[in-house]
Amino acid sequence: METLTLNGVDHTARPTWKLAETMRFYRDILGLKLVHAVTAKGWGRADEAHADFIHFFFDSGNGSAIAFFYYIGTQQPEALKVPRGYMAMANHTAWRVTSEAELLAWQHRLESQGVKVSQFITHEIIESIYFRDPNGYPLEITRSLRDMVALDAVDAEHTMAAALALEATGKWTGIEQLWRTKAARIRAAQDAA
Amino acid sequence: MSGFYVLDVPEFLPLLEAARRHALCQVHPVRAGYSYVAFAEPIELLRAATGLQPAVWFGCLTAGLDAKITAFTADALCLTPTNEPII
Repeated sequence: METLTLNGVDHTARPTWKLAETMRFYRDILGLKLVHAVTAKGWGRADEAHADFIHFFFDSGNGSAIAFFYYIGTQQPEALKVPRGYMAMANHTAWRVTSEAELLAWQHRLESQGVKVSQFITHEIIESIYFRDPNGYPLEITRSLRDMVALDAVDAEHTMAAALALEATGKWTGIEQLWRTKAARIRAAQDAA
Repeated sequence: MSGFYVLDVPEFLPLLEAARRHALCQVHPVRAGYSYVAFAEPIELLRAATGLQPAVWFGCLTAGLDAKITAFTADALCLTPTNEPII
C-alpha cells in the first residue's frame, strides 16, 4: 500500500450559537488571532434548508487553527448541546506549549479572566490544564514531559492487541482483565527476546 | 510466580524503586523493554512510597499483571496471587 503522510492539524471546527461570547473568549481572553472568515449563502444546499453561515478561524499556532460555524437564525439542536460529565470531555482539543512556565502563565491568564481552570494534571508523558469555552467545549493546554520513544509504540501495540481480543469476547468488564491479558503477551515477548 | 510488568520508561521508574525497597518484591532486570516485579504472597504498595501522581498511579499496572487486585485506592494497591480465569 502506498505510504501516505499527514502533516499535523490544519484546523478543527465545531458549531457555535454564541457568537459574541466565542469571539471574546478566543480572541480577547485566549488572545488568538482571527485569521480567516468565510461567509456564504447556505452553500447552495437548498434541499437541506442549509442556513446561511459564517465560518471563522483563529490561529492556534504552528500552522493550525480552531474554527467555528455560526448558522444564522438557527437554534441549537438538542443533539449538539455539549453534555456534561467525563465521557463528553473525551471530545476535546489539546494545545501544546513548551514549558511549565508557559502552562502556569496560561492557567493564570484564564483564571484572571474568570475562566474555571483545573490544577496541573500530570499524566505519563504530558502535563495539562483543562477548561471549557463558552459553548461548553472542553479544552486542554498541555506540555510534553518527554519525547515518545519506540518502546511507547511497542507497548501501545501490546495494549491494543489485548484490548481487541477482550472486546471480541463480549465479556470485557474492567481494566484488570486487560492488564492480565497483556501480561501473557509481554511474557511471550520476553521469552522470544 | 505472581507479579506485574513495568515498562522501561522514566515515569514508571519510581514504581520500580518502590518495589526494590519492598520486602516481598523481587525486581527482575529489563527484558524486551519491560521489568518484572515478582512476589509470592499478597503485597501492598503505597502510592506515597512511589511518589506517583494520581493519574499515573492508577495506570501503574498498564504493562501487565499476573495477579489479582484486591484493593486499588489513591493511597494503596493490594495484589494477591491468583489462578482465577481472566474472563
